[in-house]
Amino acid sequence: MISQAMIAAWIFVAVAFFALGILVYVAIRSRTRRIDLEKAVQSFRSLDIEAFRNLVDSGEDAFLRDNLPPRKFREIKRRRAWAAFIYAWEAGRAAAALAKIGQAAQRSSDPEIAASGVQVAENAFRLRLQTIGACLHLLTEVLLPDLRSPSLPPLVDEYERAAETLFRLGRFSSRVQGLARPKSA
Amino acid sequence: MLSLNWHRALSLFLLIAPHVLLGVLAVILYKRRLYREFPCFFVYVLYEIAKFIPLFALYSVQGVTGKQYAYAYCVTLLISIVLRFGVIDEISRNLFRESQFLKVAARRSLQCVTGLFLGAGALLAVYAPGGNSAKWYAGIFVVNRGAAMVQSGLLLALLLFSRFLGLSWRRSAFGIALGLAVLTSLDLAMFALRAAFTSEAAANFLDLLITGTYLVCVSIWIGYLLAPELELVSPTVVAHDEVETWNRELQQLIKQ
Repeated sequence: MISQAMIAAWIFVAVAFFALGILVYVAIRSRTRRIDLEKAVQSFRSLDIEAFRNLVDSGEDAFLRDNLPPRKFREIKRRRAWAAFIYAWEAGRAAAALAKIGQAAQRSSDPEIAASGVQVAENAFRLRLQTIGACLHLLTEVLLPDLRSPSLPPLVDEYERAAETLFRLGRFSSRVQGLARPKSA
Repeated sequence: MLSLNWHRALSLFLLIAPHVLLGVLAVILYKRRLYREFPCFFVYVLYEIAKFIPLFALYSVQGVTGKQYAYAYCVTLLISIVLRFGVIDEISRNLFRESQFLKVAARRSLQCVTGLFLGAGALLAVYAPGGNSAKWYAGIFVVNRGAAMVQSGLLLALLLFSRFLGLSWRRSAFGIALGLAVLTSLDLAMFALRAAFTSEAAANFLDLLITGTYLVCVSIWIGYLLAPELELVSPTVVAHDEVETWNRELQQLIKQ
């Protein structure tokens, strides 16, 4: 019969190899991953911030709660929370791409681009962390639609701040070739 | 004279080769002035070379008992564990150094992760103590298994966290982290098995695997430290009119 110590040992081995698998994946992805400013800006542009604002509006929620039967309210609340979750998730992904661009700009020899890069990266990190909080919050709403939860973290403000700094970086990069490199054939 | 058979020859090779390569690594760290950026890793590399000399002498000298060797091995192993924690701290500082925000927020999150892993490691040491061997050094394997779990967990958290945030690694820091993560992950597996299987044949086989793993990890470190730093630039052409379009779009977004 297999002893408990043996089972524990093999569980450790399985955990270690799982960790190793993730490490290999991360190492391979880090070699192939490239920064794509265009893609980041496109994902940023594709998000309808007004629609997101509407989906997480507590006034709208209160109106729906007062005017719909509880079952219907739960169903609609779940759908709204799920849609908002997808928005927040996409905003987080765009923020991660922006962070990369900000860090690349940070190392530019032009002090203006470098300073702008610092701002882009800082705002992108803040936005990314806030989207994590927002996603958790929205998932709770999907699971427990009746729960009256406090309002979302200031995600929209952070999103707009990141957009503003990205706009500034875009303006700098249009006149300096430091950040952009021709695409290889 | 040492009697040579295939097992002994392989053991000797796997014992000596990583330490020779560690010497090469120390030279690379010194020549490229990376010891300024990673002082703890440099000390760790020098320590690993320094500890090998007395340990190899004890291993080779005929009069030394297995118990004496085990004492020396365990003491040096414990110092290595402490130094590895220092290297992980150094890597995380290096990773977050460019962001004032992350210096506070990310390091606080990592401290929480460290606390969680330490708690889990302590619990596992109590509830999954390994084999029923009465040998005292089996306890050291359990301690090393716990430390390897905490360290590989921390490094994995660091790698995933940076990927999630879009943090760019310096190539050298990434190489050190990757090599150490592979080393600690495989240490976790090997020392878990070492604590459970105490027969001499199993111990000999696992010792070979442990030293072989070490050779792979030192090679990863050398490979990454010799490779040129990747330039962090956007591969896309940023046409002037296109930037103007983005600017207009973003201005509209901000005004909304």
